[in-house]
Amino acid sequence: MSAALRDVVLIGLGFTFGIALTSAPAWPQTPGTPAATEKGAKGPVRTWAKVEVKLPTSSTLFPAGNGADIANGQCLICHSAGMVLRQPPLTQDEWRSEVNKMRNAFGALLPADQVDALARYLYSIDGSRAPTDRAVSDGQGS
Amino acid sequence: MQRRTSPPLQRLRRQFFARAGGLGLTGLFGPAAWEAMAESFVDFPFANGRRELVTNFPQKGAMLLERTRPPLLETPFEVFDQGVFTPNDRFFVRWHLADIPNVVDPATFRLNVRGHVTQPVSLTLDDLVRKFEPVELPAVNQCSGNSRGFFNPRVPGGQWANGAMGNARWLGVRLKDVLERAAVKGGALQVRFRGLDKGVIQQTPDFMKSLAIDHARDGEVMIAYAMNGEPLPLLNGFPLRLVVPGWYSTYWVKMLDDIEVLDKPDDNFWTTKAYLIPDTPFANVKPGQQGVKMVPINRMLPRSFFTNVQDGAVLKAGQATTVRGIAFGGDTGLAKVLFSSDAGGSWQEARLAKDYGRYSFRQWEVPVRLSAGPHRLTIKAVNAAGVAQPEHANWNGAGFMRNVIESVSVRAA
Repeated sequence: MSAALRDVVLIGLGFTFGIALTSAPAWPQTPGTPAATEKGAKGPVRTWAKVEVKLPTSSTLFPAGNGADIANGQCLICHSAGMVLRQPPLTQDEWRSEVNKMRNAFGALLPADQVDALARYLYSIDGSRAPTDRAVSDGQGS
Repeated sequence: MQRRTSPPLQRLRRQFFARAGGLGLTGLFGPAAWEAMAESFVDFPFANGRRELVTNFPQKGAMLLERTRPPLLETPFEVFDQGVFTPNDRFFVRWHLADIPNVVDPATFRLNVRGHVTQPVSLTLDDLVRKFEPVELPAVNQCSGNSRGFFNPRVPGGQWANGAMGNARWLGVRLKDVLERAAVKGGALQVRFRGLDKGVIQQTPDFMKSLAIDHARDGEVMIAYAMNGEPLPLLNGFPLRLVVPGWYSTYWVKMLDDIEVLDKPDDNFWTTKAYLIPDTPFANVKPGQQGVKMVPINRMLPRSFFTNVQDGAVLKAGQATTVRGIAFGGDTGLAKVLFSSDAGGSWQEARLAKDYGRYSFRQWEVPVRLSAGPHRLTIKAVNAAGVAQPEHANWNGAGFMRNVIESVSVRAA
């Protein structure tokens, strides 16, 4: 890429920070003509500005049931409930292996004697009962 | 009910109606109720597939929410019909660990290169911009688990539909040049990358990924400081992100601030235990199959998608229509994109739009004229290495690398 193009991009970088991070101009852009060149051309701003954002929080709790207190008290330490509630229905064994993954791979503080209770609870809210909706887990951390 | 008219929402609503109708649910609510709801969520066609459309993430437009903390945000598929590059504010977001800095100050930010090197270096953003040759590369960034929700049997993990991918013009410096500055010692084996994010509790392993030293020095792997001509959104890795062209997104470490050259194999959790695939063609195994050698996920496979027709769409019979979409070759360029209007019985080559390079999305289109009645439209990419999308879905227990040919059922009337 030419030095000229890089300068244009640098101007664009400075300009973007100079206005508002919440209203990114973005797209579509013709390749080779990066964003914000016209206004940025008023003066080459070549400094990187600090970026500060606010990340949303979730107030979603696990649905009521025997063991919901464990889920709310333990799972929500590291992540919100959404991804759990959007999992496919799993068998109780599969839920237990997910819970154990959290303890063994990610260091979840959940006491060992609550693993079964949590697996039972998760099965009760999102359990696989029919052979056709059977899921399979290989226990990876991803 | 208030009727909104912005085109994306109209499309979303049509998509929703099509799916809701297909599931036989329309009888449960009046049309007005559906209309209102359709503007705020999408139902993917798998169990627990409802996704709320949210706009409350910083530097992000409307995204489909899978998890708030740490964020998992999917790109609504209609975005891919709007152009070959995915806008930064619609680009998918995937974080593993929830302690994500919400402030990054370039005055204090440093990229450190250390480990098995002669001259450890600590670089500012200005250093990267001014002291290295800039390079720009259009490339697809796709989550290893993109489309996991469609796996059958289902598997746990992020339950994405097809929107955990995006294509951007990445601007930055070659990793090779940065490693040279640090003077890598002989005997280096791997290079390990880490970002600013951390787990909430001390026991959670830092997210780190490694590349072989030769890969890291191939001149293509880069450290990007801009994306589509702008700084990266914080949630996409501001200020720096590793770009590993042709490889799955797990290697594209966000908020990159630490590069460690290793003289022995990386044994960290994320490299040895997570993101492993069966060492088989298309990472494909039978559900329950045991004793398969597992290896770290690596190169991407070819894929293609329809972007302007969806399952259940009604097209005008006997009239010329253009069906279009996007495709990419995976770890190499596209050779061709093949279209079928008879469920794969016969194929014709789609016209390919401008080529932005072998790692980019490429738009395709086909003029069609359909007779009245139902039709099964199918699209298949073949890459420059001759790898074609498989007819039957590949499957593995982690839900990685889905790349089956895509089909939509439409009706001409």
